[in-house]
Parts: sequence; structure tokens; C-alpha cells
Amino acid sequence: MPLTLTRRGFAGLAALTPFFMGRAQADGSWAEIEAQAKGQTVYFNAWAGSPQVNAYLAWAAEEVKARFGITLEHVKLADTAEAVRRVRDEVKAGKAGSADLIWINGQNFHVMKEEQLLFGPFTEELPNFALVDVDDKPTTLVDFAEGTEGLESPWGMAQLTFFADGAKLDTPPMSMMELLDLARDEPGRITYPAPPDFHGTTFVKQALVETIEDRALLPMAIDKAAFTAATAPLFDYLDTLHPYLWREGKQFPQAQAQVTQMLADGEVLMGLTFNPNEPANLVDGGTLPATTIAWQNRGGSIGNTHFVAIPVNAQSKAAAQVVANFLLSPEAQARKADLKVWGDPTVLDLDKLNPAQRGLFSRAKQPGSVQKPARTIPEPHGSWVPLIEAAWLEHYGA
Amino acid sequence: MKYSGAAPLALLWALPLLLALAMLLPAALDGEAWRMALAHPQLRPALALSLSSGIVSTLLALALCVLLLAGLYRSRAWHRLQALAAAGLAVPHLAFAIGFGFLVMPSGLIARLLVGGDVPPQWASVQDPWGAALTLALALKELPFLLTAGVAVLSRGDEALRLRQECRAAASLGHAPGSTFLRVVLPPLLAALRWPLVIVFVYGATVVDMALVLGPAQPPTLAVVIWHALNHAEAAVNAAGLAMTLLLTAALALVLAVAALLGGRTRRAMHRLLTAGPSPLQAPRGLAAVTGLAALAVLGLVLLVIVLLSLAPRWPYPVLLPPAFDLTAWMRVAPAPLWLSLLLSAAAATAAVAMAVLWFETQAPRRDRWVIGLALVALALPQLATAGGQYRLFLPWGLTGTLAGLFLAHLTPVAAYVLIVLAGPYRAFDGRYVAAARALAATRLSAWRRVKLPLLKAPLLSAAAIGFAVSIAQFVPAQLITAGRFSTLPMEAVTLASGGNRPLTAAFALALSLPPMVAFLAATLLGRPRWR
Repeated sequence: MPLTLTRRGFAGLAALTPFFMGRAQADGSWAEIEAQAKGQTVYFNAWAGSPQVNAYLAWAAEEVKARFGITLEHVKLADTAEAVRRVRDEVKAGKAGSADLIWINGQNFHVMKEEQLLFGPFTEELPNFALVDVDDKPTTLVDFAEGTEGLESPWGMAQLTFFADGAKLDTPPMSMMELLDLARDEPGRITYPAPPDFHGTTFVKQALVETIEDRALLPMAIDKAAFTAATAPLFDYLDTLHPYLWREGKQFPQAQAQVTQMLADGEVLMGLTFNPNEPANLVDGGTLPATTIAWQNRGGSIGNTHFVAIPVNAQSKAAAQVVANFLLSPEAQARKADLKVWGDPTVLDLDKLNPAQRGLFSRAKQPGSVQKPARTIPEPHGSWVPLIEAAWLEHYGA
Repeated sequence: MKYSGAAPLALLWALPLLLALAMLLPAALDGEAWRMALAHPQLRPALALSLSSGIVSTLLALALCVLLLAGLYRSRAWHRLQALAAAGLAVPHLAFAIGFGFLVMPSGLIARLLVGGDVPPQWASVQDPWGAALTLALALKELPFLLTAGVAVLSRGDEALRLRQECRAAASLGHAPGSTFLRVVLPPLLAALRWPLVIVFVYGATVVDMALVLGPAQPPTLAVVIWHALNHAEAAVNAAGLAMTLLLTAALALVLAVAALLGGRTRRAMHRLLTAGPSPLQAPRGLAAVTGLAALAVLGLVLLVIVLLSLAPRWPYPVLLPPAFDLTAWMRVAPAPLWLSLLLSAAAATAAVAMAVLWFETQAPRRDRWVIGLALVALALPQLATAGGQYRLFLPWGLTGTLAGLFLAHLTPVAAYVLIVLAGPYRAFDGRYVAAARALAATRLSAWRRVKLPLLKAPLLSAAAIGFAVSIAQFVPAQLITAGRFSTLPMEAVTLASGGNRPLTAAFALALSLPPMVAFLAATLLGRPRWR
């Protein structure tokens, strides 16, 4: 971090103070961090495309104000990469940060970690981190095959889930091969978003997992030549599937939400999501009918975790840690998992909670809930993603 | 006077803009960025698609505009035309795209009416590989803008008087109304529409939000490819996006240069046509009425559809009305930050018009090409690039996260639009009126205030309304410059719309269209000549 004292005088000095405080607090106890956090403002940069998420964050803001005297401001983003670019520019210009906490995972995390734009490690110091289910939910420590190394605190779980109107589709395809059969029977009624849309890439990854001959390759870094050989069955599969898709696979929707809308309008038969509870949530909000069903592929489906991270130039690092810890508390996690609120699955291990805390989590099924949850397949190593995106674009992009 | 008159525009608008553009220069010299950009498999087809949708939509909008003006000129429907144009202009592009999409898409209203059945037909009526749906929607959406610009020219105090006299003279020479319009009204109209047409073309070839809703995806338009690249978290991909931006800008400049060349070549042929003797060509009243009513019907249907979509959580095929209505989406709009947006936009529009007028009053007309050229560059480049440059410029100055920075960020696109829209009518003003006032011993200021200002009222008000509408829709610059410290209406709307919830998007789009609609209607009413 370049010194800004000479150029910006007092403003630079004021901006640096919390930076040094951030250093000091690694030795301090959690109580000291909470004491420092009091009165600070946390600018939480978080994607705001969901009214449910926004309402949940508004609740969290009220709670941290009452409990810790912290002001939590939700900085609404349309795309998390925006916050990454902003922090990069600020650090380059030697300015104090405008973001204190970022909702993040995957590529955005990789970039920030690699460019050393993140504060930490801090997650081990969070008292509630001990409750996280790091054994059965390994993705809470490994983000797209990249170790989190304490630079981001787990917040919620995600797993590729399909959904449809059960009145129109009574036997859902529980594997990529069954999906091909369905597409043959119902030509033009199945589609998926074009990569590099996050969900589109995940759909292709799921097909990769189900077609690849040697799954042991997936968690490892891969080069172009090995990738081409390993993905030959994948592109055979996609070549076979595409002629039966919407618009004969020559056009694809540009985003997951568009597929959901096409399902709601009756144009396609199936939607896909990374939040297993989204279909139930959409039923609750009236977007989808009560006959909606949701499922995960029989052999398991791609899953990951989303996190919160603190930028290296954040001005309220103490308060940001207190907020991250609060977001991990059983109460906050249970409320987040509630279908009526958001329906985002918890990262906690319910066995580590006391009975009262466990009682906060309701397990009642609702219309649109996943009937038989399947096991989580971790994301392939990060080096696969750009290769998948480029190869898909080359095969089907123009 | 000469320098101080140019100072506000130079300091508050041109300088920050030029410096922001300079921040983009390193990308132009980045070999790796160019290699990545040129290797993109979608580059060539995407560029072709951008240019074709821009060119065809502009020509189509121009043809419709001339037809409507020719048919309705000096008719009783003329003022209704203004109101129609104002209403159409106020509907945000994204809202229009969503509403238009819901009319024509396979599960849309037209298919429900004409086809029915349980399953929607498999039409390629949106997201077609040729970009036809996008092109048609662009033409229809830009028609009100061209009409507003055209009506502003033809209704301007001095010009209206001159045209009335010349039309009378032409009629007495035996020209029928259609011939009179073609030979007397059309030439100055086309000359005045030159810059608005350039805006329409540049907008159509670079639009992102409409292309995402209606345009194809394999390949998409180049603007969409660029948008994805500039949105990326990795700096290398951003740089490739900037390289593609420069490429698209160069291609647009080339098209405009060719158009200017063709325009010059056809002038002589036009001259021969225009000076031909009396002709019985009638005004295309019937055709214009049909076209006008059709455009009105589309606009009305689009608006109706957006209202219904904002109230319907679900509207599955093939029912003609949503099964249930609720106000959930509108409840989210209610607490949106409206006041900051209104104040900012009023301030930006007022400042832009004042700066433009100061410029036109104190600078020689030949200098206009520099500011208008700069304005066009500002409008042609994607906002992620220009506003991104401005953000990096403002950051070391401590302007990010401040109201002053937010105001300047809004002023950049607003002043660009106002300059381009105002240049034609302002420069074409008949200076003899002011000369006469000065001869009657009026001071320079009072001659301007009491003679020129009232005569230029219509174009000034309409430029201010356009500036206001442009300002209230700004998302990218506002989002970047505020760094989360302030919130405006479009920031709330666009971030929510990123989740793809259609009722919410529709409700916010409608909320965003109300303030400009009021502004355009006010400009239309206040801008009417007093003697009518």
C-alpha cells in the first residue's frame, strides 16, 4: 500500500489509521475487536438482485446495530466484479477503501487473493467459525479448488438443482443421459444459459463430470492438450444434445433468470439454479405454480460455498469481522435458511449446535423443495473454467 | 467574454471527459489486449451485427419519422404528434424492450392471440440470429426521439414563420402540399436532424440493455461482448474489452464518414429534384395516419403490457390475462431514493443547457465541431469505459463518494446530449431578429432575453427535458462514482433487475419513466409559441 501522507495530508493520515488498527487486532482478543467495532460503519458490497437477500441484509443491519453498535450499509451491486475492480483501483491509487465486506466466491475470490487485495487470514479468529461444518462441507474451506486460507468466511451453500412444473413433467431427468432422452422426446423445450454465465458454465461442468472417463483429473490443474482429450466425450454429448434444445441449440438464453422466466411463461420445461431452495422460494412468491418440483442429479451435482471477505484497504476491519461472525451465528444462519426469508442453506454443522439452536432450523418440506437431496460434487480445479468457457465459445459461440 | 463563455463547458465537462478518455489510452497500446480481442471467436460476426442493427434501425426510424412529419405537417394532429413523441421518449429503453419482447416472443401476447394451444409456438421472434427484433424495437423506440427533434425544428419561432411564408409561396407557384413539404420543409429538416440521426445510429450500434433482452446471443452484438469483457473481474479481460471498444468506435466513425461522403455526393442530384417545377404530389396523409396510429398502438400496448407485468408475479402461456395480481413489486419501488435523482437530474439538465447556451453565444459556429465531436465520442463509448476512466480520474482527487463527483458524472452524458440536440436549432436561428433588437437600442443581454430566448423556447425546453431524462436513467457512472455512499433510483432499479425478476424490473422501469414523462410534457406545453 503506497503511502498517501505527502499527497493528501490529513485525509491520507486519517485513512491510514484503521489500517494500522487492522494490524494490531491480530494479537487482540475477540472482545477487543468487538470493542473497536462499536460505532464503526460497515459498507457491505453485495449483489442485490434478490429482494429476499436485500430484506435479509436489512434485518442483519438492525441486529448488528442493536447488538454491537455497528452501522451496516448494504452497497447494492449488479455484479460483484465491480467491487473487485473498485478495490483494485483504490489500492493502486493508495486510497482508503470504500468497501468493508464483499459477498464473494469463485473467480472474484481468486483474482482478489492472487492480487493480494484481501485482508486476513481472519476466519479462524471468528468465534462462530468453530460451528462450521468443515468436514462434511469441504467447500467451506476450498473455493473452486482454491484454498480459502482464512481470507473469506463461509456464508451459505449452493448446489446445482433443476426444477420444473410437475404437472407438465412427471418424471424428471435425474442424469445428463436422461436429460438427452427427454430432449429427444420434447425437442425445443429444454435449454441452458450460455457460458460464461455462471449457471451455464455449471451446467456444462455437470455434463463434464457425468461424461469424463477419469474423474481423478477434475481436482487437478490441466493444460490445453489434456483438456481437449479429456473433454472429447463432453463435446460429443453436447453435439448430440444441442439439436434437440430450444432453437436447435443455435441460440441460448443469456442468463439463468431468463431460463426461469421462460419456464414460468411455459416456453421451456426446466429451469436450473444454484440455490436448492430457490424453486420453493419462487413458489412462495407466486412466480412458479404450487405443482413445482425440484431435483438434483442422482449421482450428485456440482456444489460450492459462497463467502464474505474483507478488502485489504477496508476502513472498518474490526466491525467487518464482527459482522462476518454474526452472519455465522446459528440465529442468522437459521433465519437465512428459512424458505420464507431467503432459503439459503447453512454452512454450519447442526450437530455442533445445542438443541435450542438446532431448533431454529426448520426442516419442513414445502412445495418446490428438493425431494431427495443428492451428494455434492466439488467444483473442478479453477484451471478448467477458462478452458471450458473458451472451448464452448469456439464450438457454439458463432 | 469569449474565453469565460467557453470556460464552464471546458472545465466542468470537456476537461474531465478528455482526461477520462486519456485514462483509456494505455489499453490502445497494450499488445496483449489487442491479441486477446482479435482472437475472440465472436468478434467479426458480432461487429457485423452491431453495425447492421445500428444502420438499419436508424434508416427505418428516419423513414417513419419523415413519413409522419410529411403527412401531419400543418394538420390538426400536429400537436398530438408532439404529445405522442413525448410519451414515447419518456419510456426507458429497457422497459420498451421488455414490453416489446412480451408482445412478440413465442409465449408472448401476439402468439397467445393468434396461435393458442397448450404449448407456445417455436418462433424465432426474439433473439433471432439476424437481430431483426432488436433492430425493429430500436427503430420504434428512436422514432419519438427523431420526431421530438424534428418537431422542435419545425415549431421553432423564427423557423416556423419562415417556413410558413415559403410554403405559401410554393403553394402559389402550384405545388401541392406533398411537393411543398419535399421541396421546402424537408431540406432544412434533414439538415437539422443530422446530429440526432448520428446519436440514434451510435446508440443503436452500442446499446447493451435492449440487446440483452431482444438480441441474439450466439453471437451477440459487439456491444454485449464488450460489456461482458469490461464487467469481468480480471484486468487482462477488461483490457481486451477496451481494445474491442476502440475497434467498435473506429468502425462507427468509418460508417459515419462514408455516410457523410454519400450525403455530399447526392446533394447535386437532390438539388435538381428540389428545383423541379410545380408538382401535384400530395401529402401522404392517409399513410401517415395509419403509421402514426400503428406506432401509437404499439406504444400503448407496450405500456399496458409493462403495467400488467409489474402487477403479475406469473403470467403463463396461453392465458390472455395474468391469473393473479399483486403489488409486491411496487412495494419495493415505494421506498426508492427518488429525491436525490430528481434534484441531481434537474441540476445536471439546467447546468448543461446553461453551459451549452453560453458556448453557442460566445463561440464561433466553426468551433462547434470540436465539442460535438467530443460529445459523440462520449456517447459512442461504452459507459463502463468512460465512467471507469472518470472513476480512476476522480479517485486521487477525493471526488469519488461525493455529491460533487456524482454531479459531474451525470453532467458528462447529459451535456453531450444537450449540445448535440441544441446545436442545430440554436445555430440555425435567424440572427436578424437579434440585430433588429440591438438596432432598437436593446443591450446584448436584453436582446437575448427578450427576443432570442422566447423564440428558442421550444428547443431549449426540449433539450432540457432530454437532458433530464438522460440524467435520471444513469446507472453505470452513478454506481461507480458513488462507491456505495449514495443511492439513486436507477442504482436501486438496475441492481434489483440483475436478478431477472420481471415484475420488479417492469415496476422500476415504469417508475423511472414517470419523471421524464412529466418533463417532456411540461416542455411541450411550455414550449408552444405564444401566438398560437
